[in-house]
Amino acid sequence: MSDLRKDFGTITLVMIPVAIAINIAVGQLIYALGIPLYLDSIGTVLVAVMAGPWAGALTGLLTNLIWGLTGLNVQYAPFAAVAAVIGLLAGLFAEANWFRSWWKALLGGLITGLIAAALSAPISAYVWGGVTGSGTDVIVAFFRNFGFGILPSTFAQGITSDPLDKAVSFLVVWLIVRALPWRFLARFPRAESAQES
Amino acid sequence: MAESFSLFRARESPVHSLHPLTKLGLAAFLLVSGLAVPAIWYPYALLTFAVFPLAALSRVLPDLVKVIWRVALPFAISVFLIQGFLWPGGTPILDLGIASLKREGLIFAIASVGRILIMVGAFLWFTLTTRPDVLMIALYQRGFPSSLAYIIVATIQIIPRFQARANTILDAQRARGLETSGNLVQRARGVLPLVVPLILGSLVDVEERALAIEARAFSYPVRKTSLVEIHEAKWERMLRLGLTILLALVLAFSVWIRIV
Repeated sequence: MSDLRKDFGTITLVMIPVAIAINIAVGQLIYALGIPLYLDSIGTVLVAVMAGPWAGALTGLLTNLIWGLTGLNVQYAPFAAVAAVIGLLAGLFAEANWFRSWWKALLGGLITGLIAAALSAPISAYVWGGVTGSGTDVIVAFFRNFGFGILPSTFAQGITSDPLDKAVSFLVVWLIVRALPWRFLARFPRAESAQES
Repeated sequence: MAESFSLFRARESPVHSLHPLTKLGLAAFLLVSGLAVPAIWYPYALLTFAVFPLAALSRVLPDLVKVIWRVALPFAISVFLIQGFLWPGGTPILDLGIASLKREGLIFAIASVGRILIMVGAFLWFTLTTRPDVLMIALYQRGFPSSLAYIIVATIQIIPRFQARANTILDAQRARGLETSGNLVQRARGVLPLVVPLILGSLVDVEERALAIEARAFSYPVRKTSLVEIHEAKWERMLRLGLTILLALVLAFSVWIRIV
């Protein structure tokens, strides 16, 4: 396990605000385009690959909190812990060299999305009454209509979006890391995990 | 912070001149107890007797109500419709032919909406009355790591620039024939040509920025002085201590009443 202080050197500290801004800007863009995905974790996964799981976790945590702070998307603030776990998992997958091939990155994203959906369900159920206030609530309604509990219905809604969303995000990060010059990547503490095999 | 991006509204009010940590303490108490206490009337009582009066005192009540309305209304409608009408096996109290409103669902909806309102209300009151950079300075003075404070302040400052850049890329790609309307497949195709330039472009100045702040003794382990001075009244410390104790009691009570 690398030295934690090395993970949080100056370049990482400069990268994190940029990554959070990427999360928010891309998330807003995707929402404006009307695509049924979030794509608000790309920055988180990128930091996790380049600077380790803890830096990734911090990025995720702060993204949701700051997003709420700006008033653009207050509803995401309670899910800060889930975003942190996404960063943590992405970093762990990167440590296991899963970002060296595209299909492993995709699989890592799917698994992360599943775990994210499982963690989001209780938060959504308790804080937001088990609904999202958007079109995906038809899924919740569908399951509730057939007698499912609040938690399973919310989880079902999460399953339809989170795994795909995280799989796409992991894939985009894999693409980006391949496109980045080694001169840039080498400055980051976890550059080896981003290298092509 | 001319270019920063936050909900903060500058007003002349006694609340605005309070220490940011006092406001944080108040908001945290309202938020945490509002979510923890298992009484259906409690969040509404907090809203009526704490959040709205505080907002009025801070002269941000219209802003607060506007944002709460915008954020909470979709949830309230969804919760009422879905949990109210589709509650499995509940006792119906209102029959509309195709569906009936269930008592358990209605109670759940009212409880949920209460929690949503107190959470959004407390959080919003705090962000409306607190400057983010002043909050970070106050936290730093209390031992918060300066790197974390830097991250939060830097993020709030660059978000508007990123949104502008995203719009520029959107326009540029559209001018080159990118389809951003139409069916889902067309829009989905447009994701990569928009996202990748945005990300790669923003990574370019990460290195330069790191060099720039290093040249300004960013990572040098020395106590940094602040340009902004924050005032704190004696009674604010007592209030924060009192709130912490009260919150601990409320949390203990909430846990105990759920177990017993």
